[in-house]
Parts: sequence; structure tokens; C-alpha cells
Amino acid sequence: MRMWRWLLAIVIGAWLPLLLVWWWWTASAESTNPFFPPLELIWTRFQELWLFAEWPTHVLPSLRNLAFGYAIGVVVGVGGGALLGSSRTASRYVEPVVDFLRSIPPVATVPVFIIFFGLDASMRIAAIAVAATFPILISTIQGVRATDPTLLATASVFRLSPSQTLWRVRLPAAMPIVFSGLQVGLQIAFVVTIASEYLGSGFGIGAFTLIAADSFLILDAWTGVLLMGLLGYAIATAFDIVERISLRWYFGQKKLA
Amino acid sequence: MTIEISIRNVCMEFPGADGVKHVLDNISYDVQEHHFVSIVGPSGVGKTTLLRLLTGLMPPTSGEIHVSGQRISGPPKGLAVVLQDYTRSLMPWLTVEKNIALTLRKQKLGRANMRERIESSLEEVGLAGTGKSYPWQLSGGMQQRASIARALATRPDILVMDEPFASVDAQTRFDLEDLVLKVRDDFGITTVMVTHDIDEAVYLSDEIVVLHGKPAQVRDVVTVDIPFPRSQMATRNNPHFAELRTHVYAMVRGLE
Repeated sequence: MRMWRWLLAIVIGAWLPLLLVWWWWTASAESTNPFFPPLELIWTRFQELWLFAEWPTHVLPSLRNLAFGYAIGVVVGVGGGALLGSSRTASRYVEPVVDFLRSIPPVATVPVFIIFFGLDASMRIAAIAVAATFPILISTIQGVRATDPTLLATASVFRLSPSQTLWRVRLPAAMPIVFSGLQVGLQIAFVVTIASEYLGSGFGIGAFTLIAADSFLILDAWTGVLLMGLLGYAIATAFDIVERISLRWYFGQKKLA
Repeated sequence: MTIEISIRNVCMEFPGADGVKHVLDNISYDVQEHHFVSIVGPSGVGKTTLLRLLTGLMPPTSGEIHVSGQRISGPPKGLAVVLQDYTRSLMPWLTVEKNIALTLRKQKLGRANMRERIESSLEEVGLAGTGKSYPWQLSGGMQQRASIARALATRPDILVMDEPFASVDAQTRFDLEDLVLKVRDDFGITTVMVTHDIDEAVYLSDEIVVLHGKPAQVRDVVTVDIPFPRSQMATRNNPHFAELRTHVYAMVRGLE
């Protein structure tokens, strides 16, 4: 029964993408326009490049930058957000600065990071980390601040210490809100991962795609775009799974309510 | 009899948009050790405010509260609470046993003792074997049992309950009332309960404190001289039970 529902969900979710791929495939089959090559050719080239010959040179560096940068963003965002969210005084001092910094479009910061870090991976990781930090920080502050007063009263009467209250009550209670920030942060981190490779890099999916397009290797550029789409989708799906598992209590409770 | 909780000339004022709101006016009352005391009064009179002062969640504007001979300046040691809204008082991300374990962290019990404490507490409230469930997987009555178990696990001298049975159905309410009486006997706990249910107050209490007025004052202290053990059928049919509830009702409504 569950199995069938699962299959049904996949069919419902997959028919439109399949239809679009089929339409792209047939509509482009006879194309002689050099900028819009047949999907069949793109797919053949995609297999040559990305299954998995070029992974070590282009995909793995990008994913490594994303992983390090995002991890830093999560630690700083959740840790800083927890502290700022639970201390009115601290947030009063820091918030104007946070509001200013987060208003700067993340991609625009890349040139500044080049000044500080040069053109190697540390620059990219720093830019990704900063971009990911702000949505995570903001949502953690909001989540921690919104802790149910009844939970806090309970923690207080049972004489939990301030740090126990923060890490064992406020932060777990905030997790559903924190996760929405983690999701936005991941999307932005992925964008900055690609964008940071547009400057001064020969490696990475972004760099590959840009160089291919500049060199009129249109087929290669198309495979790069396709790969970014697939990777982005895979990352988002993995995130959903992690969220479902981490917030099982939250979804379980909502389903019963 | 020793005095467990002493409330001395307590006044409470809240600053508001339209001036200071005077909620409690010169409240004095002593809770005897091992007694079951109910605080009743019309809604909005300040029962819960008094309870928050007793639990040390906020300080009174003036006056003093002593618990076990010590003047309190925050939540005192040896005091546990059961609140009305169990869905927001038990941590939904922790299983029942981890909820209990969280409040035992301060006591540094060691693994085996901790296990034993959790299991015996769950057994005491009739929840043996549900420790691995999440609170929200249990019925309302069972969740309230779980919060009673959590309170008991800390081995409190004083149990403070804020309308503990207001959100459960009538049948469950009777069961839980008998449970808290049993718990009081088994552990010799001093219990203070806020309730708006006068029958419940009479059924459970040694003494009932009636708050009335704006700002609230202690209008009456009613001694419930119905012997223990009490039973839902016999006690509630006792003519004296009817007299007492009529008296308390009249006091709460300001009719006497």
C-alpha cells in the first residue's frame, strides 16, 4: 500500500519533467543553430565529460568549496544566532551591523574577498561561508527568540542553567525555523560557489562553463548548465531528507494535530 | 506541623499602558508540610500570578516568600511544577524518558540511578513502558501523567500545579485527581494547586485559599475536614462535601 503511494507520487512528480525533456529532445533534434545544439549531442558530450571523467578537475573542487563554506556558515550562523537570540543586549549592539552586512548581495562580495584572500580556494570558501551565514543567523535569532514562554518557565523551575536552557531547550525548539534558514543558506551558498569561480579560476563547474562559453564550445557550456541543474536538485533533495529526519518530532506532531 | 511555604505580605503590581495594575494586595498564608492546598478564585483574579511568585519565576513587588525556611529569590530547590498546557511544557523533540532525564541533569545521578529514577517515576503514574514514546504520541491524560512523572523524578518536597487537569476529559480528570492524592501519600509531598474547579479543590485539598477582589486579597481559608483516603464516589456524596463546595462557590462569586 505504502509502496504504491510512493510510486504514484513519483509518477505525479515526474510526468512534467519527462514531457519537457522529450519536447526538448525532439524539438532540438534537427537544430542547426550553433547556439542551440540537439539535446542528443549535449547528452553524448555530457556523458563524456561528467560520467565521471572530469569530476576530479571540476566537480569535486566546487563541491569541496561548497561543503567547507556552508559548514562554516552553519556553525557561525547557528552558534551566533543562538547567542544573539537569547541575549537582548547582545543583539541590540550587533543587529544594526548584521542588518547592514546582510543587505549586500552575496555575489557582490566576491571581489572584496579576492583582495583579502587572493584567487585561491580560501577566497571562494570565505565568500560562500559569509553568504550562507546571514540567512542562517537571522532565522536562528528569530527561532530562538520565539521560544514558547511555557517551555522557558518549565526550564527555569527545573533549574536548568542558562547554557542548558539555550542548547537543550531554546535551540531545539527553534529548529523548525532554523531549518528554513539552513535551506535558504544552502541555495545561496550554491549560487556563490558557482559565481565565485567566474573570477580567476580554471577549475570548478562555474569556471568550466564560463570558459567553454567564452571559447564558443557551446556544447560543453550546455553540459555545464545541465550539470549545475542536476547537482542543485540533488543537493536540495539531500537537504530535504536530512530535514525530514532531524525534524521527525516536528512533522510527526504536525501530522497528528 | 512545620511550615513548608510561607507567604508574607506579598503585593504584586504590573506596570501597564494605563498606569500601574495592582494584582495582589498583601497576601499572607502559610502552607503546612505535606498539606494539599488549592488556590481558587474568579478568573483573572491573580491565581497564576501568585503561583509564579511561589515558584520563583518572578519576584513580588513587596513582601517575602519563604520555602523550607529560606527566602526565595528564584526557583527554589526541591520544587517541581505541573502546568496546564502539557503540550507546551513537555519538550516535543524529546521522548518521555529524555524529558525526565533533562530535569535530572542537575542531580548528577549516574547512569543506573538515573534509569531507576525514570522507570520508577513512570511506574508510579501508570506509564511504565512508554518512556520511548514522544509526548505527542500519547493521549492528553497520558501526557499529563508524563509531566507528573517528570516532576516526581526530581524527588521534590513541593509540587506546584497550575490548573493541571483543565485540558483533559472528565473521566481522565478523576483518574488524575486520585493519582496526585496517591503521589502525595507515597512521597509525602506538599502540594499547591491553582484550579478554577471548586469540586476538584474540595475533593483534593486539606485547605482551600479563596482569592477575591481587585487587587486580590485572601478572602477566606477553608479547612476541608473530610478524612483521607477520599474516593470519587463516597467523598463526592458526603453531605459535608456539598456544604463545603457551596460555601467555597459563594466565596468565589463574592456572594457571602
